[in-house]
Amino acid sequence: MAATRRLQKELGDIRNSGLKSFRDIQVDETNILTWQGLIVPDSPPYNRGAFKIEINFPAEYPFKPPKISFKTKIYHPNIDEKGQVCLPIISAENWKPATKTDQVIQALVALVNDPEPEHPLRADLAEEYLKDKKKFTKNAEEYTKKHSEKRPAD
Amino acid sequence: MAASQENESDMDFSDNDCYDYNNYYNDDDSDVEHVDPMKVDPEYFEYRCLSEEEVERLLNESVESLSNCLRISPTLAKVLLHGHHWNSNEVIRKYKDNPSQTIIWAKINPPSPQSIMTSNYYTCPVCVTPQHVEKFSHLPCGHKFCKDCWITHFEVQINQGISTSISCMAKDCVVLVPESFVLMHLQHKTNIREKYQHFVFQDYVKSHPELRFCPGPNCPIIVHSREIKAKKSICEQCKTAFCFRCGCDYHAPTDCQVIKKWLIKCADDSETANYISAHTKDCPKCHICIEKNGGCNHMQCYNCKHDFCWMCLGDWKSHGSEYYECSRYRENPNIAHESVHAQAREALTKYLHYYERWENHSKSLKLEEQTLEKLRDRINEKVMSGLGTWIDWQYLFASANLLAKCRYTLQYTYPFAYYMDAGPRKELFEYQQAQLEAEIENLSWKIERAETTDRGDLENQMDIAEKRRTTLLKDFLDV
Repeated sequence: MAATRRLQKELGDIRNSGLKSFRDIQVDETNILTWQGLIVPDSPPYNRGAFKIEINFPAEYPFKPPKISFKTKIYHPNIDEKGQVCLPIISAENWKPATKTDQVIQALVALVNDPEPEHPLRADLAEEYLKDKKKFTKNAEEYTKKHSEKRPAD
Repeated sequence: MAASQENESDMDFSDNDCYDYNNYYNDDDSDVEHVDPMKVDPEYFEYRCLSEEEVERLLNESVESLSNCLRISPTLAKVLLHGHHWNSNEVIRKYKDNPSQTIIWAKINPPSPQSIMTSNYYTCPVCVTPQHVEKFSHLPCGHKFCKDCWITHFEVQINQGISTSISCMAKDCVVLVPESFVLMHLQHKTNIREKYQHFVFQDYVKSHPELRFCPGPNCPIIVHSREIKAKKSICEQCKTAFCFRCGCDYHAPTDCQVIKKWLIKCADDSETANYISAHTKDCPKCHICIEKNGGCNHMQCYNCKHDFCWMCLGDWKSHGSEYYECSRYRENPNIAHESVHAQAREALTKYLHYYERWENHSKSLKLEEQTLEKLRDRINEKVMSGLGTWIDWQYLFASANLLAKCRYTLQYTYPFAYYMDAGPRKELFEYQQAQLEAEIENLSWKIERAETTDRGDLENQMDIAEKRRTTLLKDFLDV
């Protein structure tokens, strides 16, 4: 399968790069099409926690885009209650086979750090973000404290 | 259609002739009257029904003439035309103004090309396999990928229905893949190549303002007209009639936007309007229950022989005169001072007035199709019993067809009137609509009861109805 060769290469590259914002990558040896890892944002209000995500690659990868979902609850205008996230770089219309997974992850980390209330998945949170930033930050901080994963030590 | 063919067949005069025909005709030019067909028939429309091959020839002709005019490759000419809705003049203007920018804008060339590689071996960024440079290919942007990856990329895209908008595989690269590049890679994959060519052709037709796919089910015909207007085109093959501009059912005198608004409104309000879908009403005089089983709105109670109008239940006698008012909606002049509740009720009453008439004519059209079947049986019976020949009765079919045409237009006058602003123009419209309404019901009544001796009378009625229809369209069809 074409996907396997490319994913093995990408997995090795990402693990070697020592990326701080995405770590603890776990891949089942029998199924390289599913990755799990920890997103570690560095901007408030999300910099007090870490968020588990899952990346699912289709069998046609890299000719079709991967899908990403959050396994940890997060208070964010672009991520809904089911953990679905709207990321243009992996939408079917924009997908390019030469796009690498580390570029996708960087786009995801950038979105978590800097929400885009102009294209929200949760309209209520986007409105709060735009109209009452203080209240949004307070709510998001509390939510992060309550629901997020522990941040790695280093 | 016939007119367009006549115009195309130019007459040729030989120079060796003794008479100067050109002068001869010029002198007598005052005799030949050039009548604008639009003035005689407001629905006049020149169009042609083309097969796929004919359309391909038409597109190729534009590609060839552009490629000759600008001295560019046909591949480039095709992409430029597709990107500019097949407007050659616009392409020529832009290209002469700034050729390199036009090609970048059309996503054929990249804003800044990549450097060319020199080594013999290279790793494909998609499948991460190192291969000899011969196995690679690239677009003008210079992003190199191995041919196997290009093929898979095309297969995946084509299977999702994407054709002319397939782009380079590199991240953030907007360069489009031209038809020739795809076909070159798919030369050994007959199935997927045919699928691709089918989708490409559909994209070309859809981007061409002068071409429309016939909306008839599984019909391969494409209608071509230089005039992009909301006019009636009828497919030669499947006989589907549709509006050339929007591709929906023909809707004169209403325009494309208004009919869309009206149909959405009807779909939204279908529950409110459901109660009128009942086929029965009570006779206004003897109150016996009557089922409408024909298209004509002129009803005669089978019990008490009272003549009345199915729509307004009023006496039919007042319908035949100048004061036919049934189609007109009377607005409450003091409505602005009434409560919100009363205004809402008034709005619903107004809508239902127009909707009932719209719906009723639609039903009448269907019922009159059944009448036509009965007519056929009746004619058979008459011919068998020696009352005239089959040919003697043909005029009845002509009149039934005309009736359907008139009633169809009448049906589409109701959304037009609903959205019209009150004023003298609306009064004139509703006057003409009422006249048409009256003549159509007369015609319908006469057709249902036709005998041989009525032929003159019926043909007279046909003429009047069609005149009323054309008059209304001449005054109000604005396309």
